[in-house]
Amino acid sequence: MSSERGSATSQRQIESLVCRLRRRQLIGSRETALETVHVIRQVVLRARFRHIDELIGMIKSVGRRLVDAQPKEHTVGNTIRKILHHIREEYNTAAQNSTLKAGPKSGFSISNFVLMGQPKKQSMPQKSSSVERNPESSVQNDSDLAQGLKPVLMEAIQDVLDELETVYDNVSKSAKDHIHSDEIILTIGKSKTVEAYLKSAAHYRNFTVIVAETCPSYSGHEMARILSSAGISTVLVPDSSIYAIMSRVNKVILGAHAILANGGMFAITGSLMASNAARAHSTPVVVCAGQFKLTPLWNLYHQYGALDFADPSSVLGFEEGSLVEKVEVVNPYYDYVNPELLDVYITNDGDHPPSSVYRLIKETYDDEDTEL
Amino acid sequence: MAPKGSAGKEKAAPEEEEEILQAVVLADSFNNRFKPLTLSKPRCLLPVCNATLLDWTFESLALAGVQEIFVICRSHAKQIKSTIAESKWSQPSSGIKIVPIITAKESFSAGDAMRDIYTHGFIKSDFVLVAGDLVSNVRIDEVVRAHKERRRKNRDAIMTMVIKEAGAVHRSRPRGETSIFVLDSNTHECLHYEPVQGYPPLAHASVPREILTEHSELEIRNDFIDCNIDVCSLEVPSLFQDNFDYQDIRRDFVHGVLTSDLLMKNIYCHVITDGYAARVKDTRSYASVSKDILARWTFPLVPDDNHPGSASTSYEHARGNKYFSLSSPPQLARTSHVGPLTQLGPDTSIAADARVTRSVIGAHCFLGPGATVTDSNLWDAVRVEAGCVIESSVLGKGVTVLRGSRIERGCLIADGVVIGPEARLKKLTRVSVRRGTVEEDEEDEDEDSELEHVEASQTSEIRASLGSESNGLVWPDDSVDEDEDEDETHSRLNQRLLRIGDNASDLDISDAGSVTSSSDSDADSDADDGTLSMNGVLGLQLSSSATSLPSESAVAELADAQAQREFQAEVSASLARAFAEGHSVDNAAVELKTLRMASNVPLRRVREAVVAGVVDLIPLVPDAPAQQRAEIARVVGRWGQLIDSIGGIDAVETVAVLQEHCSQSPRLALFGQVLAALYQHDVVEEDDIRAWHALTASRGSSEVATAENMRKCWVVGARMIKQFEEQDDDSEDEEDKDEEDESESEEESS
Repeated sequence: MSSERGSATSQRQIESLVCRLRRRQLIGSRETALETVHVIRQVVLRARFRHIDELIGMIKSVGRRLVDAQPKEHTVGNTIRKILHHIREEYNTAAQNSTLKAGPKSGFSISNFVLMGQPKKQSMPQKSSSVERNPESSVQNDSDLAQGLKPVLMEAIQDVLDELETVYDNVSKSAKDHIHSDEIILTIGKSKTVEAYLKSAAHYRNFTVIVAETCPSYSGHEMARILSSAGISTVLVPDSSIYAIMSRVNKVILGAHAILANGGMFAITGSLMASNAARAHSTPVVVCAGQFKLTPLWNLYHQYGALDFADPSSVLGFEEGSLVEKVEVVNPYYDYVNPELLDVYITNDGDHPPSSVYRLIKETYDDEDTEL
Repeated sequence: MAPKGSAGKEKAAPEEEEEILQAVVLADSFNNRFKPLTLSKPRCLLPVCNATLLDWTFESLALAGVQEIFVICRSHAKQIKSTIAESKWSQPSSGIKIVPIITAKESFSAGDAMRDIYTHGFIKSDFVLVAGDLVSNVRIDEVVRAHKERRRKNRDAIMTMVIKEAGAVHRSRPRGETSIFVLDSNTHECLHYEPVQGYPPLAHASVPREILTEHSELEIRNDFIDCNIDVCSLEVPSLFQDNFDYQDIRRDFVHGVLTSDLLMKNIYCHVITDGYAARVKDTRSYASVSKDILARWTFPLVPDDNHPGSASTSYEHARGNKYFSLSSPPQLARTSHVGPLTQLGPDTSIAADARVTRSVIGAHCFLGPGATVTDSNLWDAVRVEAGCVIESSVLGKGVTVLRGSRIERGCLIADGVVIGPEARLKKLTRVSVRRGTVEEDEEDEDEDSELEHVEASQTSEIRASLGSESNGLVWPDDSVDEDEDEDETHSRLNQRLLRIGDNASDLDISDAGSVTSSSDSDADSDADDGTLSMNGVLGLQLSSSATSLPSESAVAELADAQAQREFQAEVSASLARAFAEGHSVDNAAVELKTLRMASNVPLRRVREAVVAGVVDLIPLVPDAPAQQRAEIARVVGRWGQLIDSIGGIDAVETVAVLQEHCSQSPRLALFGQVLAALYQHDVVEEDDIRAWHALTASRGSSEVATAENMRKCWVVGARMIKQFEEQDDDSEDEEDKDEEDESESEEESS
């Protein structure tokens, strides 16, 4: 009874998250990632499973629904992948221990599964046949193992949560090594990561930040206000002057919405312009982002819809009635910035060049989760 | 069974303390602008961008945090009910409770629906009232919060209307039905509301003068889209219950509340600048709202993001605001052309050389080779064969257009119609299925008779235009909206402005800019008229209609005079009663005030009536001046205060009115004595008499017949002033001297 009610609660939580994602009431990659972890934690907490694959299947199906709800918020999928990766890792360690103790039992064993690193799809049919052959011991063993594993799995999820919660601190750890005294930094938009990074650097160094207004959201205004109130000497400039002042800028620091596997990224509108201007002046472009933004996507075909077009009202007012009829207004949230324009990603786990992002992704996620 | 108890105990779903937000959706439109499309389904189930209007409305409300929705349905109620039951909204996971409520067939207006809400009594607190054809991304919950905040300070703020700022010319702003809002710039209180029709063009709008005196800053706006999102408090349905003649929420209720002197309720407006909201009120706005959705104004309510239709349909967004179904992508021939602002539903195929621009194509549609579709809405399973041309039209579900047909602008073609081959549909044709070809049951009598009427009008020429294989029935242009008992908005020309594809080119759009002028050109309107007129063309001016305006105003004058006479009679009757029965001054004053409000006459008329009544009450005692004076003193002493208690003190006017009355009556001789008596009883002061005396009008103008008598009165007045001065002189002589004397002599000379 109680567990049924429990699953109903977690269902409701999932539903509400799906709705909020669909309706864009939940904005911001980190917040989204945090919410996702909370929901998955509830799912794992309430889940009753006899085998780890059941649990993974459950998480995947929840993940699929969340991703479908808002395919453009990549951190949802990333977080799910990361959790799955952690769960498998924990399970494998536990299984290895238990098989070492119990010794191999049948032709199919968990150690085989682990050692061969087989994808789940192939192991499933084998699994069911082994259950038929030896129902009592195997099932008993697995479910015991799986149930006993729960605290460990919860810990694994907690790790993901902790990583998310400390992401800003960890990203900004290396700030003083990248920013030197009397440098002029250019940034656009308002990114919490960049903000934390610059603030941390300001403890050790004296530098000037130029913030572009970043129309049409004008989030640069807010950013400039925050930075200057933190005691950093800040200059707010219109977007049009980015190219003109680039010759005096020592470094461009950007935030990212999602880091793609080819080393490119989706970032706030205007990033592409700033990166191109930086390239023209050979100014280094540094991207600050948490690893939860690593996304196993490529954007090879430059899919148009991927840029996430918002409503045109911030570009052209709705009250311009006669114009609305005649012109087509596009207002993309994001720019796609190719890897060639970027120099380094500063993440909560070290600095990486765009060319090695694919390896990071390979290490962070399991291959079979790329398609949820 | 595995021990699971711990998991269950841990859950502590915090029950939400705050009260849930309720919404009422009026799913019936109470008009039939969409006929014949609405023959087989209610308007709120018409698809807009491949999801029903009701879905868009629900999603708009869900976006705004509404948790409980009551749907008031009338026509096709069962259909609405079953659609809601089958939709994703009724699943427990949707987080929204939707209750369909079926009202009686007899309710014909929003007012009836509101009275129904009152009798059902399911509304617990402030609620959101919307129409069942709303598309919006406005954060209504913020409006509700503001509304509640306002109510905490002022219990009389019963309603907040959400209005959207749009340009004077906007595709989504209905040209036929707009409104003038007069708002207080600071508080956004709605002070005056006036509905405006596109035709006949409105040249004047009146703003009550009280508003101008009470509020320092005003906005008079005619550029709003009224989204009909109202945050209402519980009083609103009960007010509808009390005023059983309220029909329309805007025209009757808002207007009634704002003009009522007795209710003392306030209505506020919430002007949204960011966000989108519009209603699909008519076929024209149907087309424009579809385009707004495709142009992403409704973001995040766009096809590729939060499409409110069934969960399985999702769309991909491509350059040029084109949307292709993802679940079963449309098949596009290599040489086909899909233009901007186009949505293609699942499983649609477009053959070679076919062109689609600015259109919405439903599911399972087929466009034949060389077919052209522009600015149109094709619902599900429409088949358009080779070489057809469709412009600015709406084609219902399962319509088949056989080869070589041409459908011109503004056609509405109902579900299941077959047209062609080689059909030539003229502009604004409406076609439905002939009876018997489709099993139509449960249609009520008036619809049957309507169909009969339509059938009767079919000529062989019309048949030929539909093509040889057609099963269609062309509706004559004037059959709909001829219901005389429906309000005058339904004037046919106005209706034209609400139709898709009718650019009303013969209605000349001339906005000469508006000229605002105070109406003080009338001689005496300064203090009494109480209105400010705005001259200027607000809507559309029909080029040939200038002649109709004077006659209208003449009629209005006639009606005015009639009302005046009635009022006069009423006042004298009530005064006579008061005098005869010896009412107290206060009671008589209340009665007069009520009368004034009921017949909406300026204060001066009341004053005239009262002064006349009081003066006429004085019995004439010829040849006995002392007795006469005593009579005057008695009457004025008893009733003099009434003149001041009718709602405004203006002693100068009193004297002027007295003069006017005396000059016309046999009591001319009494003027001086009455004036003196009024002075004695402090109804008029010395300064007032002086001021009156200084007025040019008091001297008696030459044209008036009674000028001579007026002149006499004036002379009496002059004598009186002289007396005052002498008195002053005397008293001052007794006390102090020189300086005052000098100044006074100056005054005299001037």
